[in-house]
Amino acid sequence: MEAWVNEIFIGISLASILLMVAIGLAIIYGTMGVINLAHGQFVMLGAYGAWLLQTQYGVSIVVSLPVVFLVVGLVGFVVERTIIQRLYHRPLDTILATWGIGIVLEQLVRNVFGSSSRYVARPEFLEGGYIILGAHASSYRLFIIFFSLGMLAATWYLLFRTEFGTKLRSVIQNTEISECYGISAKRVYALTFAYGAGLAGIAGALITPLVSVTPTMGTSLVVDAFLVVIVGGVGSLVGTAASALMIGEATAWLSYVLNDTTGRILILLGVIVLIRFRPQGLFPDTVRR
Amino acid sequence: MLEAQALYSYYGKSPILQDVDFSVEEGGFLGIVGRNGVGKTTLLRTIMGLTDRAAGSLLFQGENLLGMRTPQRAGAGIAYIPQGREVIPRFTVRENLLMGTFPRKDGARTIPEHIFELFPILADFIDRRGGDLSGGQQQQLAIGRALAMDPKVLLLDEPTEGIQPNIVQQLEDVMRRLNKEMGLTIVLVEQNTRFVRQTADHFVLLDKGRVAMRGRGEELTNEVVDRYLAL
Repeated sequence: MEAWVNEIFIGISLASILLMVAIGLAIIYGTMGVINLAHGQFVMLGAYGAWLLQTQYGVSIVVSLPVVFLVVGLVGFVVERTIIQRLYHRPLDTILATWGIGIVLEQLVRNVFGSSSRYVARPEFLEGGYIILGAHASSYRLFIIFFSLGMLAATWYLLFRTEFGTKLRSVIQNTEISECYGISAKRVYALTFAYGAGLAGIAGALITPLVSVTPTMGTSLVVDAFLVVIVGGVGSLVGTAASALMIGEATAWLSYVLNDTTGRILILLGVIVLIRFRPQGLFPDTVRR
Repeated sequence: MLEAQALYSYYGKSPILQDVDFSVEEGGFLGIVGRNGVGKTTLLRTIMGLTDRAAGSLLFQGENLLGMRTPQRAGAGIAYIPQGREVIPRFTVRENLLMGTFPRKDGARTIPEHIFELFPILADFIDRRGGDLSGGQQQQLAIGRALAMDPKVLLLDEPTEGIQPNIVQQLEDVMRRLNKEMGLTIVLVEQNTRFVRQTADHFVLLDKGRVAMRGRGEELTNEVVDRYLAL
């Protein structure tokens, strides 16, 4: 019984991290049609940001989150303005370009900080944990879960309750007519890319106490996040959240019952079978046109 | 107020409009007629900056439009109601109207009341999605959205195409009221020459991307129609 509750709990906390990475990916793909292969490196930058702030300035990870969000968001903004915006009508080239950007970012970090693993301590007030239904739930994992639910709510608010969100949704549906009504698609694209990158950065910073920080840490996470986006279907926050939960739980359970490798193989097989029958994902956004 | 001289407009390398001249004075009503595919829609799109490239002179209230990007042209007070209406399908009527206020210079985000007087149906359907409205209702919404920016000139592209006759009548009345009573400048692309003859001050007849004829509204006689517009 305890072991079950424990796996469910680990699955949820895994899902929370995936959710933040996946929302960034989904919002960038949904708005600009860009498959951002540098997303994993944005996660990694966020992790190094948290590490740097802690080792150099003794800043707690909780305090570093907004700084990391802004800095990685700025990196995303610069990448969009300098490179991505020139490639909007060439989808294949954006894949190559973002892949290249990812390699450059990764190597830059390796050159500056070296490739050895770095560790970040969790904040003192989040040490320890609670006993829930007989299983141990660490405070830090609980914090991650609530924080990512908060970011999901903030993203929903941004999209559906602010003027920027209205402009963003309008550009997604009809770029040309949006421009005819005073909306600068260029500006919307750059800010959206920055927001997605910033979310990835936050996810990276949040996992630092749970994993070791290395230049390649983003890659495996972003693969799972892509699975989340594919399963959830583009254009629905609820879908992304539900599918993050599914992938997170499946990962936790399968690696518990079987082992990590077999678990991954089964998840990939599951996703392949799913998109064979529902290529639009489980929760596609449908509308009469 | 809106004046083009030797205007050329291109998609890729092909010039769609060639050496086009026209002008509309403040409060004027210009009808643009011609067969299908002669560049009428392209003319409106050129005014909004939606073609690949344009050359020549295009002035709006003395300002050079060709140097402005599309959102700036909207900000200058040009409202475009495209063919096929293009309301945002997943937006409610309210959001579609709100979107119309985005170009406003004064930053106001309130939907002007007179829009609901012109089109009471929009008030009834305020929370329905644009994509769920009928064609005629969408056209009313598209005009309402344009009026929400408090525009100086309205560009309409075949607003009555494919719309049931009773709504066509209403739309024609609205265009007449906007122009004659409220003094709004209108540029209308229209296949319906009867309405242009009755309502427009002037017309421009396009053929193969050039101006084939121009004149006062009542000069768009049946002989002209037979000569240039009959199939």
